[in-house]
Amino acid sequence: MALRASIGQYYSADSPIHRLDPRVKLLGTVVFMVSCFFVSSLPTLLLAALAVGGAVACSHVPARRLLSQVRPIALFLVVTSLINLFFVQSGEVALSMGPLHIHWSGVHAAVLYTARFFLLLLAGSLLTLTTTPVALTDAAEYLLAPLERVGVPVRQGTLVLSIALRFVPTLSQEAEHIVAAQTARGADLENKGALAYARACVPLIVPLFASALRHAENLGRAMDARCYTGGERTHYHVMRLVARRDAPAIAALALYLAALIAFSMR
Amino acid sequence: MTADAIVFEHVHVTYPGAATEALNDICLRVPSGQHLCILGGNGSGKSTLLQLVNVLTIPTAGRAVIHGMDTSDPCRTLAIRSRTASVFQHPEDQMVTSVVADDVAFGPENLCTPQPEIAKRVDAALAAVDMAERSQSDPADLSGGQMQRVAIAGALAMKPEILLLDEPCAMLDAEGRSGVRGIIAELSARGITILHVTHFMEDALAADRVLVLDHGRTAFDGTPSELFSQPKLVESLGLEVPSAWSVSAERSGAAGAHGGAEGHGSPSNQQRAVAATRADSAAEPIDKPSVVFDHVSFSYAKAVNPRKRTRRRRLFGVRGSSDASRSSVPLALDSLSFQARPGTITALIGRTGSGKSTTAELACALKLPTRGTVRIAGIDTADLARRGELRRSVGYVAQLPERQLFAETVYDDVAFGPRNLGVPSDEIDRRVCDSLRSVNLEPTESLLQASPFALSGGQQRSVAIAGVLAMGQPVLVLDEPMAGLDPTGRKHIRRLLKQLKQVGTTLIMVTHSMEDVTELADQVIELDRGRRIDHAEVSRHGTTR
Repeated sequence: MALRASIGQYYSADSPIHRLDPRVKLLGTVVFMVSCFFVSSLPTLLLAALAVGGAVACSHVPARRLLSQVRPIALFLVVTSLINLFFVQSGEVALSMGPLHIHWSGVHAAVLYTARFFLLLLAGSLLTLTTTPVALTDAAEYLLAPLERVGVPVRQGTLVLSIALRFVPTLSQEAEHIVAAQTARGADLENKGALAYARACVPLIVPLFASALRHAENLGRAMDARCYTGGERTHYHVMRLVARRDAPAIAALALYLAALIAFSMR
Repeated sequence: MTADAIVFEHVHVTYPGAATEALNDICLRVPSGQHLCILGGNGSGKSTLLQLVNVLTIPTAGRAVIHGMDTSDPCRTLAIRSRTASVFQHPEDQMVTSVVADDVAFGPENLCTPQPEIAKRVDAALAAVDMAERSQSDPADLSGGQMQRVAIAGALAMKPEILLLDEPCAMLDAEGRSGVRGIIAELSARGITILHVTHFMEDALAADRVLVLDHGRTAFDGTPSELFSQPKLVESLGLEVPSAWSVSAERSGAAGAHGGAEGHGSPSNQQRAVAATRADSAAEPIDKPSVVFDHVSFSYAKAVNPRKRTRRRRLFGVRGSSDASRSSVPLALDSLSFQARPGTITALIGRTGSGKSTTAELACALKLPTRGTVRIAGIDTADLARRGELRRSVGYVAQLPERQLFAETVYDDVAFGPRNLGVPSDEIDRRVCDSLRSVNLEPTESLLQASPFALSGGQQRSVAIAGVLAMGQPVLVLDEPMAGLDPTGRKHIRRLLKQLKQVGTTLIMVTHSMEDVTELADQVIELDRGRRIDHAEVSRHGTTR
């Protein structure tokens, strides 16, 4: 279950963000993520925070749910921020404690880099929380379609992605069952050296692989029976740009970009 | 005048590398709209027969014609598949996406159905299986029965003329089964041709016609009442007379010969083997309960890994300081108390999610109670100092135990448990052979050295159970040991359980089958949302001792 929560899962709700064309959301998120790298001052940081904050407010996703998605990476953020704080040694000294000198540029880097990476993560999480995997893969398929012409199997690739997301909970649940069954047979994974540990994992890993292969075989059969050929198919969700729905979002994104550029030029 | 939907003319199928034919000279005509049930033991060719219809297999010899189209013509494959839809045994392996409605749309999308039509079909199909309000759910959050209904909706959305059902109820609980059965009856009434492969005789009663396969040949073809009015024939085909039928038949005095001819293997030999695996275990005085649940509660919200819990306890000196109750999460098990004595079978029943499997895992110390105590052979499961002793006392046959097989040879797999218990190697040899004999497998050199993955499904189940029996524990916990087995397989397991009981093993069994409960159980514990709702001591033989 823990694994399942950490992989972007859809939060079902009816909000302006949920209703957006998934292509707009996907492309908008990518553009925003790229723009985060141009955030280099306090005003631009506030601007980016405002953009994410606005989107979150419109999305009806509870803040706790959103933050729980980002939590696994929080430790990493704290560590990088501390590294920046202590190891950036240029500019004026802000604080001196014995051998430790904290410089203003260090504080700047610690706050800025951490904050903009945090915003970038929030934007990504918001995308997966407000967009079903199917809509997301449909959008990716549409946006990457030109690559089909140079021989990239985009359609198959996006279906593989969707199936992978579908089977994460199934396999993690099975892993739990296998661990339980082998524990009852006296398998012990504790207090062992590396080699012994690896050997002790065999009774867990072999059944899990066997199970993945069995799923693959059954799924292949089921997909064959449901007439999947990898060729031409239609889509249940038709993606259509609706001016009233999508235009405000596009306009807001354009406004944000313009403001960002204006602040950066100064 | 209805045309024949399916015509098989002298069909033979041989799989590459197989010594015998999977199907041998099958001739069959199925008129449009017929509901045909296909019965037969494991390996009788039932699934192969279905795969001929949706062109996952083509005949080695003979002809299969579906709606006038010969399946051997590759140009017709898609045309045939678009008119037939299939539902398979494992519901989770048929879902391609993480949203129910999107999954139902998968088939029509592949058929290049225009979008407005797809939307209409998805809504209609989900309504037909009574799953409309779960259209935006993640299949992983559904029960097996609900998932299987979604799979049927996915099949219906393709507007099939023929529906192929390959043991759709095998993995479901009683509630899930009755839901699926109701839907099958409704679809049949709508005029869809249905081919339904099943191990449940009740399914056959609902059909227009029954076909029984035996080793790839047609052994019976007629109406359900023609079949079940011949109990001798039914038994010789490895089938059972459904209880719903036998009740009415017993009144007329027709049925009567059950249990007599147990057939396969030599029971006395098997019995000796069972006794041998138990030799070291039957030391406890018989009237002392070996499993005691005392006001046991369990909540997944506060679930702690037993190992982690020790560490915390060691660090802070106090036991789980965060144990204060968090009332927002419902208890998976609420104050359950019961006792089980040696030489008895306790059946745990209840719907999916009622806490049966949790109880089973608590009894094997795979989970520790949030409140209350579980004692196995006098050992508190929370007492980690005696964990080794505990493992020697209680064995666990998980659901679908064949899925835990891993070793290169059958011998190594069965020996895995005893080796972990530190049993000396000459003793292991004896235990492996005895436990295999007790599940009705002769421990020949070729079997012992075979890969467990090369065995048939039924044999894999037996080897997996032998792997637990070889540990010789006096308490055994079994989680749905009969799930997915054919009648012959079920009969074997039932006999094994009875013999284990005779030699003084304490058995706790999670089950969905009321037949197993009435035939085997001395004590029944019914759970509903974590609470015990009924308590019945079944002492059919007067004294249970």
